Amino acid sequence: MTPTRPNPFSRRDFMRASALAAAGGTLLAGCSTSSSSGSGSKGSLGGTLTMSQPADATTMDPQLQGDVADMNILINMFDCLTTRDSQNRLVGQLATSWTAVNPTTWRFTLRKGVKFHNGEPFNAAAMKYSIERLLDPKTGSPIVEFADAGVTGVNVIDEYTADIVSKIPAPIIPEQCALFDGVMVPPNYIEEKGAAYFAKNPVGTGPFKFVQWQPGAQVVLEANPSYWGGAPSLSQLIIKPVPDSATALASLQSGELDMVTGLVGSDVQPVAGASGIKIVSVPGIRCYFVNLDTEASGPLADVRVRQALNYAVDVDALIKVVLAGYGQQIATMFPSSAFGYSSTVKPYPYDPQKAKQLLAAAGYPNGFSTKMSANATNSLLLQAIAGQLAKVGVQVSQKTYAVQTFTELDYVNQGNALGPTYVVNNSGWSMDAYSYLQSYIRPTSRSSRWNNAQATQLVTTEQTSVEPAARQAAFAQLQNLMIEQAPFIFLFVSDLVLPMSTQVTFKPNALGMQAMTNASIG
Amino acid sequence: MARFVLIRIGHALLVLVCVATLVFFLDRVTGNPVQVLLPPDATVADAQQLSQALGLDKPLIVQYLHYMGGLAHLDLGQSLYYRSDVVTLIAQRLPATAELAAGALVFALVLAVPAGLFAAVKRGSMVDTALMSLVLLGQCTPAFYIGIILIWVFSIIFPVLPSSGIGGLNHLILPAITLGSYSLAVIARILRTQLIEVFGEDYIRTARAKGLSGMRVIVGHALRNASLPVVTVVGLEIGSLLGGAILTETVFAWPGLGQLTVQAIDNRDFPLVQGIVMLFVTTFLVVNLLVDLVYGVIDPRVRLS
Repeated sequence: MTPTRPNPFSRRDFMRASALAAAGGTLLAGCSTSSSSGSGSKGSLGGTLTMSQPADATTMDPQLQGDVADMNILINMFDCLTTRDSQNRLVGQLATSWTAVNPTTWRFTLRKGVKFHNGEPFNAAAMKYSIERLLDPKTGSPIVEFADAGVTGVNVIDEYTADIVSKIPAPIIPEQCALFDGVMVPPNYIEEKGAAYFAKNPVGTGPFKFVQWQPGAQVVLEANPSYWGGAPSLSQLIIKPVPDSATALASLQSGELDMVTGLVGSDVQPVAGASGIKIVSVPGIRCYFVNLDTEASGPLADVRVRQALNYAVDVDALIKVVLAGYGQQIATMFPSSAFGYSSTVKPYPYDPQKAKQLLAAAGYPNGFSTKMSANATNSLLLQAIAGQLAKVGVQVSQKTYAVQTFTELDYVNQGNALGPTYVVNNSGWSMDAYSYLQSYIRPTSRSSRWNNAQATQLVTTEQTSVEPAARQAAFAQLQNLMIEQAPFIFLFVSDLVLPMSTQVTFKPNALGMQAMTNASIG
Repeated sequence: MARFVLIRIGHALLVLVCVATLVFFLDRVTGNPVQVLLPPDATVADAQQLSQALGLDKPLIVQYLHYMGGLAHLDLGQSLYYRSDVVTLIAQRLPATAELAAGALVFALVLAVPAGLFAAVKRGSMVDTALMSLVLLGQCTPAFYIGIILIWVFSIIFPVLPSSGIGGLNHLILPAITLGSYSLAVIARILRTQLIEVFGEDYIRTARAKGLSGMRVIVGHALRNASLPVVTVVGLEIGSLLGGAILTETVFAWPGLGQLTVQAIDNRDFPLVQGIVMLFVTTFLVVNLLVDLVYGVIDPRVRLS
């Protein structure tokens, strides 16, 4: 049996994920980023785009950052081995192709003729340096997906070919490379100048070059005219930290900002319909559900009760109330953009009558009492769910925690410190169902309170096989099993919401990192 | 006077040592920063590795002695979250906070002195009531509300001022008004109260009887005598302006220490929290010392005692 691995991919905590949920991705007018000419944009060339996000950057070293605010800036200066296109498909960025030589070895063929901003070449040696720097304990990187996946290092085959090797099967290394695990940094520059200098004067291979960072005020980037993917349409990109959403929207209306990121659906109401402003939204990767303790004795141990809870919740109403409509119901715990999603699995419909019947059949004709927790950002959702459950006789006493406290308690005793039920946000950065399910299915997983032999076996299959067809089959079966056994109350995925000036042309992808290669203004 | 100052400095140092110790241990009660820095699903091994890299695995007393030793050299350690020197981080943000506090104080004083004076002179009249109601409004309205209203009126409806960020003087106006409104009210009200009390004193009647003009009486005699408690209040306000700018800085995206403090606490960034607290305590102590010295200048009785 494969040892339990915690979810290596949702590296952001829930609060960060909420900032991310509204961030955007790449505008690609049908071109993937692996093509050499990147000009699919519709706007004019040149111009400065000023955008805001709720927090400031903490470092310019992509291997030391762990936060959305950093990623949104760094993704424009650095490339990874792979990336996601506008259709959320995995495509090559600094790698042109990859193949699994065996379950513990992925061979990457690298793009030729790429240079870092300081002129040094990108090649297999740079790839080896980058990944081994990430894994080196002395670096102290908070990016742990590769380490958790058992990656041990890189073997150089020739100047443009290298293998990533791991000590256990690692089916989604290429997907993880699209995150900052696969970011490529300049070896000569770092060795010469030192890590501290690099963290303040970054050099990458990306479409934008670093100009200036005024802490707390702004980061200024300028276009890289010799970018391998074609020079970006913008000549300058300015990113400002604006913590208050009302202020950010006011600045958008006054023209001081061209785009606001980091908001959720309910935040953007003040500018809906305002002249000169449009709101762009796409389905994101941030999924919501309620984790149920199926193992303790009590009503939740009965599958009919859990199914009843799913029938009792009106997900569409929740989306309207909590996200102002900017969300989609999902059948289980991951969105349609994730590998493993199966459209044949249907979500629970809203049916309070059926819920009451199931509760009666299970021996609770008058309902029962339970407790539900949530972190502070989800308190409205918690209240709404409690209200809906009360209608079928389930009395929910609510408890809200500060975000950091909630995250910490989640670590304790497999989530039992948070009570029999609690609201979860889960983002799958790799866009593979693997990430979403990691912590919740296997009985030994960090937050799992479901012990089902078949589910455990299916999750093992999808984790250890590199064969897509086998994994997809396992995921489909697992989803059907989850619907039938209802170990969670399934809810929705939130949209990414981007208010911007009508002058801006930009379409995010589901991941929500502000890669502005093909954005344009004017 | 020198002896007085030396004793006060000695007290201040003792306070600093006690505060440093208190903050060091209280901080660590709030939780483990390593869990905040890592993704929610990191393994125990990941946590141990990062703990080691950040020096958090050493025994608490070792960390404490290391920290106190660093303090003696004015080395406040490294931020766990930003991975750079706390001193540098604070130094980067301090000018902006100081600028905002200064702007708020200037706004408050420039309006509070005439307001308190006028209200005291015209006490009991409609003018008095109107003035005091207005300043009370500034005191009761929360900073984020005042801020957003000001942005709405002066950046969107009449686009004459920028809505956020730091820059030239025009960027300072709205945040200074927002932050200074509370201090304006406090200073105006206490000045008014003090002046009214002083107006009833014998020496004021004497001055009038001598034939001095109203203005000379007020400024030369009344104001000076009324100002002692006001100076104390101004000193306290400076302290709270520096530390209490968090809401204003958040609303106006002002890159000062306030935002940094909130983030540091949220991130359990102990060295940074400690550094900022030490800075504020030091500032408070220095300001209080200066207030005492100013007392000595204004009131000869204090100097000679």
